[in-house]
Amino acid sequence: MGLRRLLNALRPGRVEGEIRRELEFHLAEREDELVASGMSREAARREARRRFGHPGSLRERTRDADVATTVESVLADLRYAWRALAASRGYSVVAILSLALGIGANTAIFSLINAVMLRQLPVRDPQELVVVGMAGGDATEFTNPLWEQVRDGAHPFAQVLAYGDVQFNLAEAGEARPAQGLWVSGGFFEALGVTAMAGRTLRPEDDVRGCPATVVLSHAFWQSELGADRAAVGRTIRLGGHPHEIVGVVDPAFRGLEAGRAPSFYVPLCADAVHNPKGGFLDHRSYWSLRIIGRLAPGQTAASTTAQLATASASWFANTVPADWDAALQKDYLARTMDARPSIGELSSVRTTYAQALWALMAMVAVVLLIACANIANLMLVRAEVRQRELAVRIALGAGRRRVVRQLFTEGLVLAGLGATLGTLLAVQLSHAMVRWLSTPRNPVVLDLTVDARVLAFTVLVAVATALLFSLAPAWRAVRVDPQDAMRAHGRGTVGGRGRFGVGRSLVVAQVALSLVLVTGSALLIGSFRTLVSVPAGFDPDPVLIATADLKLRESPPAQRLALQRDLLERLRALPGVTHVAASFMTPLARMAWMDQVEVAGRTFAKPEDASVLVNLASPGWFATLGIPLLAGRDFASSDGPGQPEIAIVNEAAARLFFPDRSPVGARFRMARGDGVNAEIEVVGMVRNAKYRTLREGDRPQVFLALSQDTSFASSLSLVLRTVGPPAQLRDGVLAVVREVAPAASVQFRRFADQVAETLGTDRLLATLSAFFGGLALLLAMVGLYGTMAYAVARRRGEIGIRVALGARPGRLSRAVLGEVAWLLAVGCVVGLAGVGGTGRLIEGFLFDLGPRDPAILALSVAVLVLAGLLAGWLPARRAARMDPMRALREE
Amino acid sequence: MARNDILQGTLDLLVLKTLARRGPLHGYGITAHIQRVSEEQLRVEEGSLYPALHRMEQSGLVRAAWGLTEKNRQARFYTITAAGKKQLEETEQSWARLRDGVQRVLRYA
Repeated sequence: MGLRRLLNALRPGRVEGEIRRELEFHLAEREDELVASGMSREAARREARRRFGHPGSLRERTRDADVATTVESVLADLRYAWRALAASRGYSVVAILSLALGIGANTAIFSLINAVMLRQLPVRDPQELVVVGMAGGDATEFTNPLWEQVRDGAHPFAQVLAYGDVQFNLAEAGEARPAQGLWVSGGFFEALGVTAMAGRTLRPEDDVRGCPATVVLSHAFWQSELGADRAAVGRTIRLGGHPHEIVGVVDPAFRGLEAGRAPSFYVPLCADAVHNPKGGFLDHRSYWSLRIIGRLAPGQTAASTTAQLATASASWFANTVPADWDAALQKDYLARTMDARPSIGELSSVRTTYAQALWALMAMVAVVLLIACANIANLMLVRAEVRQRELAVRIALGAGRRRVVRQLFTEGLVLAGLGATLGTLLAVQLSHAMVRWLSTPRNPVVLDLTVDARVLAFTVLVAVATALLFSLAPAWRAVRVDPQDAMRAHGRGTVGGRGRFGVGRSLVVAQVALSLVLVTGSALLIGSFRTLVSVPAGFDPDPVLIATADLKLRESPPAQRLALQRDLLERLRALPGVTHVAASFMTPLARMAWMDQVEVAGRTFAKPEDASVLVNLASPGWFATLGIPLLAGRDFASSDGPGQPEIAIVNEAAARLFFPDRSPVGARFRMARGDGVNAEIEVVGMVRNAKYRTLREGDRPQVFLALSQDTSFASSLSLVLRTVGPPAQLRDGVLAVVREVAPAASVQFRRFADQVAETLGTDRLLATLSAFFGGLALLLAMVGLYGTMAYAVARRRGEIGIRVALGARPGRLSRAVLGEVAWLLAVGCVVGLAGVGGTGRLIEGFLFDLGPRDPAILALSVAVLVLAGLLAGWLPARRAARMDPMRALREE
Repeated sequence: MARNDILQGTLDLLVLKTLARRGPLHGYGITAHIQRVSEEQLRVEEGSLYPALHRMEQSGLVRAAWGLTEKNRQARFYTITAAGKKQLEETEQSWARLRDGVQRVLRYA
């Protein structure tokens, strides 16, 4: 029967028609009977109708029996809610827009959290996968010789795989087109249970020493580079200058193992021999580049596997001791073991980088939504006040209080539903914009942001919770309405009094408090970001262009390479607009680090870290090009050649740490060079401290070695050019010169300023978004305060009118209103300050040079909030002062 | 109140019994039948009858269909269903118990 009732509910017209016909028949029969008993036709009709009672009401009651009352009344509630909301359009639009912003922001941040942290890897049984790590440390990278030991040894896994990052240039020469991919072991796809959508995936037999170069492409790469051509399988593609046979295209759902990064291609490990015939990483015993993932054997846990690995891995390490390490390091190496960690999600660098920022943002948007809720609750309260008579009439007419409350919640749900729909559209835009923002050509962030069931469920949940939250206050008030009182009060004057207003005022106080928390948070983040931007980096990035060039000189002898390098720098210097040119192994803030340890005669270091230095190779003029001043000694010179004693330039921090009692110039230290032999190096100069990896780092000891003395360096080097015009203008000139000197070379350009800005990506994102959310919170709180005060003034028209008529001065009246605003603000700020103390910890990690309770920032935030609040209260205050007593009283 | 209004809850019983005894009937026929059989002691309120009929129809106790009366008027005819018959049996029994109980109280109280 349920179905029929439901159908009936959907076609009320038809049911009504049937009932009318049925009742008319009854009336006709009765009439006939009465006429037969001697009544006149006229009187009979009247009598028949009289007996029936009110035909409309009977029809309705009869219909009620036909229609499922719940469904029907819900529909009625919805219709009623729609009508009520449409009736006060301004209110509804404001409410829906603020909900759309609030819910949209929440959904956007949640969909990022979902993509980065919650979504499961699209592989078979991801919960069975464990990451192999170095026991007792964070490291999860291993060498290929170690990986081969694991693969071929008695490992405890059901299946095991290895992979490592690789970047290949797609361009043959000229400006580079880098593509990110993975080196993968032959069992990679099989162990993950990932299949191919065209061709096949790699198999163990593809990954044997001496293998031909093959490749499996990602779906996205296949689409963008090969136009989704199915015939591409079996053809070859040149990666890093070497042809690879395309054996297949991987399932589109699979985007690598690390959320946020999507490899474009998968190349078997053995193919490294094709790219680096003279010894790549395959037999390198101290090149830690591979990650190992195991699938737990049936019945095993990460802990039991760790126990088995501890014994099994001893022989693996014993078999792969790096011969060139000194005895102490070798002993250390032999003592290592492997363990298994269940945290496969932690592999994602995007996740580790942004997790905390995302949670902080999530907290922020949640607060914004709460403030929006308070606003809407306040608006609804005011409306409820206005509608009190209507509600009272409904209650007096017998509508159950429950029904009235349900009606209010339905209105809330309709509002929240509309807001959520709009918000979801907004969220899709916002989350994509954020990913674009974080993504850079060198570190592309690729996230699957499709709105999945989890995101949808989150949005629905948030919308319902919001609706319940902001309908609570008006509903609570509605059930306490005494119909007689409400009808009598006639929405008048002071009778409602303060008691009723308590809810509204508490909401305003809550809003003020929450906005203070947000405003303080964003002030902290903005302040910290401003400090970071203005922190002296130690160099002057603006006029500098970086050209990372792969000269393809691996085969040529060192002397020729160095000559060519010199030639290149000379020619570049001749380019118009170039004032300085230099080269280095890498550039500062490129998210790379070369760390090493030094020995200084006569100094012992408590911990090995105390002796660690950051290293770079630089050509003559490098410091001048970047604007790093030389403080003592000399710069490198072109006469410093490979045969001569090795020299270095150190920074102030290194000089202070290693040679505290003397001038660093002429001092000596030892450091492992190329072949692992500790070479003695003489310091020839000292430069001012400059940042190396991040702008946040303190002054760490740095050592610069002469590029012209380095014979082992890779053929890729970073050229830096200081220019007079905009740096980007030089691209074509530089490209032409590089190709003259090394025709096969490829070059990648970027402005140094961009590289610096990129290191602040997260900080900038947080600062900008928090400024936006803080501003939004402030605006919403102002609207709330204004609305409450304006309504209070409107309600007290009569009272104010009497006061004015009795001679109260307008100034006093507006002061009274502002006094109340100030009181609300004060209470809100006190509550808010308590909240700031609690939430400061959430963003502490992002603050640079600022405590979470920085007094200046707190004072500033309170001042901003109080000013904004008084501004919002000023309009109603003015209205109170200007009230015309005659008009106000006449309206009573 | 000259004639007894029907006790709450007994209307269903009377309607079901009427339909079980007389076969398909329209609403007016039901009221007429109850009035006649009870010798004008019971009077069915139109205001209660139709909601009750529709409710019983929704609960599957009766079935309704449009048909023509002997006067050639369109009317909705109600028929008792199997579920209705079962319901009738149960209600009749509980009614009998109620009547006995009430009578005993009246006799000895």
